[in-house]
Amino acid sequence: MDKPDPAQQRINMQTHELLSPAEHKKQIEFQNEAVVHLHALYNYALHITMNPDDAEDLVQDTYLKAYRFFNSFERGTNCKAWLFKILKNNYINIFRKNSKEPGKVDYDLIKDFYHSIKDTRRDTTEADSDYFHTMLHEEVYQALLSLPEEFREVIQLCDIEGFTYEEIANMVDSPIGTVRSRLFRGRKLLRAQLEGYARTNGFTTDTDQ
Amino acid sequence: MNCNEALLLISAAVDGELSFTEKQQFLLHISKCEGCYGEFDDAQRTKMIIKERVVRFKAPQTLINSIMQLTSLSPKETF
Ligand SMILES: [Zn+2]
Repeated sequence: MDKPDPAQQRINMQTHELLSPAEHKKQIEFQNEAVVHLHALYNYALHITMNPDDAEDLVQDTYLKAYRFFNSFERGTNCKAWLFKILKNNYINIFRKNSKEPGKVDYDLIKDFYHSIKDTRRDTTEADSDYFHTMLHEEVYQALLSLPEEFREVIQLCDIEGFTYEEIANMVDSPIGTVRSRLFRGRKLLRAQLEGYARTNGFTTDTDQ
Repeated sequence: MNCNEALLLISAAVDGELSFTEKQQFLLHISKCEGCYGEFDDAQRTKMIIKERVVRFKAPQTLINSIMQLTSLSPKETF
């Protein structure tokens, strides 16, 4: 993306002054309610597209739509969930339905990133002899990537983003019972993957049968 | 509550999504059933691992700037 252009910024300042009080109020509310979730949206977009450019486009487009339809956001409900729903619809429209070829999946980028941070956050539970507590970020991420999308999706929305079942059910257009069972099966699959890594690395665990 | 019923509730128990009565019955069951307790414990630990170990990427500054710019223009100007 381009650097902010000084001329453009002057125009922004001018239009800013010309805004009606109602529009000005909308802006402030949008910043407080919606823009604060930018990092979470980008993170999720990156995990589903696996490509930084696509992730940026997706987030841009999501905020454009969100701002345009901000009046239809039900005040008092979870704005982050509302934004995720828009992002997900955008993703389906842009990448699934035909129009755009997804960019190349950039596994290397993600891998390099995980390499560069490895061990730096392995500080919390080192005294614990349980191998799973000392699992590397990269291994956990690989295990997550190995899951079928329908399982990975609910695990990300629940465990990483902290949404409720009701919010997730709404986002994935499925009943709550489906969310429940996907989470159960997804976590079991993930657990099996992680145990596989643990064995490969010569650890045996108490929970192995 | 039998094992099949308990297994159906495991993810909801892990995520704090059980009703008060469901929770009571579920806890009673796993206090007596080692198999279901094991499943519950595994699921809970798996959730913790994901929470702790999956890295959250931050949006690049260029994206932050463009979103800020997007919302500091009047809608007429932007669209
Ligand atoms: Zn049981």
